[in-house]
Amino acid sequence: MKKFLCVLLAAVMLIGCASALAEEKIKLQIYGQYADDDTKVPYDYAVEKLAEAYPNVELELIPQAQDDGATLLALATAGNLPDIYQTGSGIVTTLRNSKQMMVLNDVAEKTGFLDKVYETEKQFMIADDGNIYAFPYAGQEYVLWFVNNALFEQYGLEIPTTYDELIACAEVFNANGIVTMSLFGQEGWNAAAMYDTIATRYIPEGIKGIDNGTTSITDEGYMKAAEDLVKLAQAGVFQNAVTTTNYDQASEMFLNGKAAMFLNGQWYIEDATKALGDNVTWIAYPSYDEASYEANKHAFSGGGGSISGYAVNPDSPNAELAAEVAAFISEKYCEAKVMLRNNPLVAVNTGLTNDQLPKMMQDLVAEMPNMTSTTAFTWGLTNTTWSNSIGVAAQSLLSGQFTAQEVIDQLVFELE
Amino acid sequence: MKKYLSNKKAIVVFVLPAVILFLTFIFIPILQVFYYSFFKWDGVNQATFIGLDNYIRLIGKDPTFKIANANGFKFGLVITVYQLVLATIFAIAVSDKRIRFRKFFRTAYFIPVVLSVTVVCQLWGNVFNADNGLLNTLMKTLGIEWSQNWLNDRNTAIYTVAFVNAWQWMGYQFALIVAGIKSIGEDFYEAAEIDGATALKAHWFITLPLLKDTFNFCLLISVTGGIKAFAEIDIMTGGGPGNATNTLTYIMYNHAFGRQNFGYGLTSASVLVMECLVIILVLNWLFKDRETPLFARKKGVDLV
Repeated sequence: MKKFLCVLLAAVMLIGCASALAEEKIKLQIYGQYADDDTKVPYDYAVEKLAEAYPNVELELIPQAQDDGATLLALATAGNLPDIYQTGSGIVTTLRNSKQMMVLNDVAEKTGFLDKVYETEKQFMIADDGNIYAFPYAGQEYVLWFVNNALFEQYGLEIPTTYDELIACAEVFNANGIVTMSLFGQEGWNAAAMYDTIATRYIPEGIKGIDNGTTSITDEGYMKAAEDLVKLAQAGVFQNAVTTTNYDQASEMFLNGKAAMFLNGQWYIEDATKALGDNVTWIAYPSYDEASYEANKHAFSGGGGSISGYAVNPDSPNAELAAEVAAFISEKYCEAKVMLRNNPLVAVNTGLTNDQLPKMMQDLVAEMPNMTSTTAFTWGLTNTTWSNSIGVAAQSLLSGQFTAQEVIDQLVFELE
Repeated sequence: MKKYLSNKKAIVVFVLPAVILFLTFIFIPILQVFYYSFFKWDGVNQATFIGLDNYIRLIGKDPTFKIANANGFKFGLVITVYQLVLATIFAIAVSDKRIRFRKFFRTAYFIPVVLSVTVVCQLWGNVFNADNGLLNTLMKTLGIEWSQNWLNDRNTAIYTVAFVNAWQWMGYQFALIVAGIKSIGEDFYEAAEIDGATALKAHWFITLPLLKDTFNFCLLISVTGGIKAFAEIDIMTGGGPGNATNTLTYIMYNHAFGRQNFGYGLTSASVLVMECLVIILVLNWLFKDRETPLFARKKGVDLV
């Protein structure tokens, strides 16, 4: 009897251990954006799909800080990079040199990811050494001036095409307690994007030209753009607290009719349409005069493309699996962006079509073949000194308290 | 006790853990900061030795260096004046047994210290918001035409941020001074009373001089706290507008983590360490036991 009980007990324990092992999931840490609907919806969708395709994998999310890569660099410096992490151009060179970024060529082929990437995106996905370091999901993205038409109509104003017209609108709006252009200048990229939309009226390469080395900060166009931005700031086009306003505050102002214009990427189309319906549209960036407005109507800020997306830590104990998951997540992001966020500007051809695109997105898609030039967002710049300095410089200009000369001199020093 | 103190092995055993911890977590990292300040380094890859180039650029050419030092001085000045003066007044007040609700005030003054810096900055950020902040709205409601761009003015933003720091940490200095006052014997005050000294004179000639060491410590905290200010600046102004609220610590952070230029960032940190050391030496010299006007221990001073 005792023997029988012993055998039975051992059998029960073995079965228990076996089932525990079978249920054990592999946890992968992922560092990615999870801040608003445009980042939460695709992530949640991808996690849901991952649970079906990889039931043995569990993701542990570390939400990405809006700090221009500072946290990621700190993690890299300490050798604590997560298994999968979202990366931008600025840090790719550093991390690939330090061998903290896995070469994903084989996985991209094996998973079929490479075949699904749009040809226009492949040039950005493949680095100058011929390797793939990140699985992209975002396609070419653009800086848009969003306009609340209802506010312009309410105060009998025309949509401005020149800075003088914009200043005239600001006088009326300010008198009625409305902010003309709401920016979240606390984030350097948003301030830099504002400057870039002005710089592209003089130099179509905008801030990307300096990154590429095709233009110089001492070029006259950059100085004139700086002067224009100071002029707009001093005329009260932006809110007083522009350099300390965050995204939530700036967006709320626009969506609640307290601001007539808003500057953001095209990913904001969905949220703006939901809140303001047909009243919201995007416009060609105003310029310093009518002729230049017409001439540069199709020159856009942003859109340049860059090496970005989900990268993998080669020191991860599950690096191969993490790479597969990163490819999977990126592809599912694209699906979610197309179907749930009405944003077809993605890196991967998902085979899905969305015929319910908001009008603003339809207009943008129609505009794309006419675009004469594009630039880059700050996270698409490879020179980290430049991408950081231009954000600070643009904030100085937006405050209206620095002269254009002061700011350009500082930039000359930074780039020396 | 004497037996232990004369035993060198016992001294080594008791002191060694603290020395090892200090060397590992304080001294060696500080040496590394100085070492890497002579390199061009992105924080991850191989560093390249460049001698004094970082120092020449930072001290000799970078316009932000001058601004950062001036900001450190302004920040230190605001928090020193605010914290030391108010903390001393409040501490003397709550130490007086005639004051009612002393326990409540003692707790109330200390509450901001236990709050998170982020919470405090969000709170004051909303108060100081130029567009819809509490302060400007209040002034507007009261018909006072003095709305300010508290956090976005290149000339005054540093004072606003310094005020927030001073507000939060005043309670800490208050606690130190209260503890200092408690350690002063009652007999001093009784003797002063017999001599006919007023409460004000008693505090001037007894409390303040006997708090000298406490003041030395408080001053060290606030002055060095000023030149190494970071958290409030990062949260409330991001060093801006432009570089108007940069400090040496902010330069260090921005160059190291924002531009992947750790060498330059650590140069700023090295200068900061040296500045703090100089300040400590100067303050210790100023507070050295000797006859000074403020802390004079005059023989036979007339307290009446």
